[in-house]
Amino acid sequence: MSEYRDERTLLLNNQLDEIPLVVTYLDQLGEDWGLSEALISSLNLVLEEALSNIILYGYDDKLLHTITLYFSRSGNELLISITDDGHYYDPTEKEDPDITLPVEDRPIGGLGIFLIKRIMDKVEYQRKENKNILMLKKKLEP
Amino acid sequence: MNLQVSTFENYTLVRVEGRLDTTNAHELEKSILNLIDGGCSRIFLDCSGLYYISSSGLRVLLIVQKKLAGINGQLRLSHLQPGIREIFDISGFSSIFSLYADNEAALKG
Repeated sequence: MSEYRDERTLLLNNQLDEIPLVVTYLDQLGEDWGLSEALISSLNLVLEEALSNIILYGYDDKLLHTITLYFSRSGNELLISITDDGHYYDPTEKEDPDITLPVEDRPIGGLGIFLIKRIMDKVEYQRKENKNILMLKKKLEP
Repeated sequence: MNLQVSTFENYTLVRVEGRLDTTNAHELEKSILNLIDGGCSRIFLDCSGLYYISSSGLRVLLIVQKKLAGINGQLRLSHLQPGIREIFDISGFSSIFSLYADNEAALKG
């Protein structure tokens, strides 16, 4: 990752009430890196979806865990990686919901990962040293 | 998130403001399901002050829509901000909800 110029790391606990911290953090990041409000709002959504999945379903115990968010920007690409030490879960394997179904047939839930995939340009997963690493990339408008 | 409930003609008007996310979606779910249990079957959600929604908020809207459809009720949403409209489009929600440009259109339509 040495080619990346701007880098930042945010550590969070696996608690839902940490999510509002991400909102504040992203506002500051947007200001510092000159990112548009629309992009920050999209990133907010992407991170909430990813983090709430990890926090609610990612762990087999009730202990405190650390989730690491890493942000970097190189040229016109933004990379966000999310690392957690929960059980194996690869969200990229999840099948997309059928969004053309009528209301009576639409299942409740299951939209979070889909929104992440639709908003970001690239979503990749790795399992390394018993950790889940989700890498999200987005091209930045010049 | 702030919620204001009032009655307008034969609609229950719910004005939802702020962020609808994982931390508070259950509050909206509880409030609206309480209204339905109390006999409201025509619900009109004014979204002009709603500027953020995540999948947990979408989930609640779908629950309400299904519940009202089951009792021959109606759910109408008005004045979605562009960012919210985009999430509705991505999710296929634009075609399963009755969306109106403004409150007047929603009450007439």
